[in-house]
Amino acid sequence: MARNKSILTEARQIERAVTLIHLGARLQVLESETDLSYERLLRLYKEVAGKSPSKGQLPFSTDWFMTWQPNIHASLFLNIHEYLNKSSALDEIDAVIKAYQLYLEQIGTQGLEPLLSVTRAWRLVKFVDNGMLTMTECSKCGGHFVTHPHEMARHFVCGLCNPPARAGKGRLAGSLQFGPAHVPPAAALSAHLLQPAALAAHAAHAAH
Amino acid sequence: MTAEQILAEIREANLSYLMLAQSLIRTDLEQALYRLGVSEDNAALIGALSPAQMMKIANSNTLLCRFRMDDDVVWNLLASHGRGAANDGMSRLHASILLAGRHAEAA
Repeated sequence: MARNKSILTEARQIERAVTLIHLGARLQVLESETDLSYERLLRLYKEVAGKSPSKGQLPFSTDWFMTWQPNIHASLFLNIHEYLNKSSALDEIDAVIKAYQLYLEQIGTQGLEPLLSVTRAWRLVKFVDNGMLTMTECSKCGGHFVTHPHEMARHFVCGLCNPPARAGKGRLAGSLQFGPAHVPPAAALSAHLLQPAALAAHAAHAAH
Repeated sequence: MTAEQILAEIREANLSYLMLAQSLIRTDLEQALYRLGVSEDNAALIGALSPAQMMKIANSNTLLCRFRMDDDVVWNLLASHGRGAANDGMSRLHASILLAGRHAEAA
């Protein structure tokens, strides 16, 4: 009986591992999330992906999640992840897989490239569990965004309400972009019309 | 639209909604909860409906599904009010983040 059960568990773990490999997960993720041996995982990886897994360290920094575009992608993923966790009882890794699939769909329907890899998404959840990263509510739009812990919640404004000056200037395909209409009308006015006018008035004043 | 047409269209929409919801729930319950924005209990009810029950429930003068964008922030982002269409992508992504953050309806 016990043997039967362990085969079933193993079947489930292999299924999970296959899903993760299809999503592009690194071998370290599989090692950490299943009880399968390294050798078996390696063989499984080659069989499913048709190539050897990439070697080397996993990306370890929390800083990546703080840069503008990655932060938006990470926040979308983490919001979906939280939603799934709150609405149903899921195993941790299943929640990551299902949330990541929904994230890919959502990004795909909006014609964007997924910046967040499944490995990074998995790391992000670990970072949040360890308290190295958290979500803070934007004081303007009320959305929840990935931040360092102890962010001043009262003054926090998210990267979408207040994009950095250079945001969206890159012309990478599939990245978020502002069109020429990005400059808010008021700012455009003050920059192009009001200032010269004010200067002229000032000069006129000085001439008197 | 005549009153009769209205009733027919509502029945049609209700039936499509129930059928879609049921197949989503049967395919992947957890993802369906996110897609539909319903509670686990309601999902169990919809998932267990027989075709005959579905027809009966769909036959009504009110719609079964409710509008999810019930606040100005999300709605303005989706409709891109007061903004150029150029940063449409940004607004939609912003709206997605805000909507994904609403688990009040699911809890």
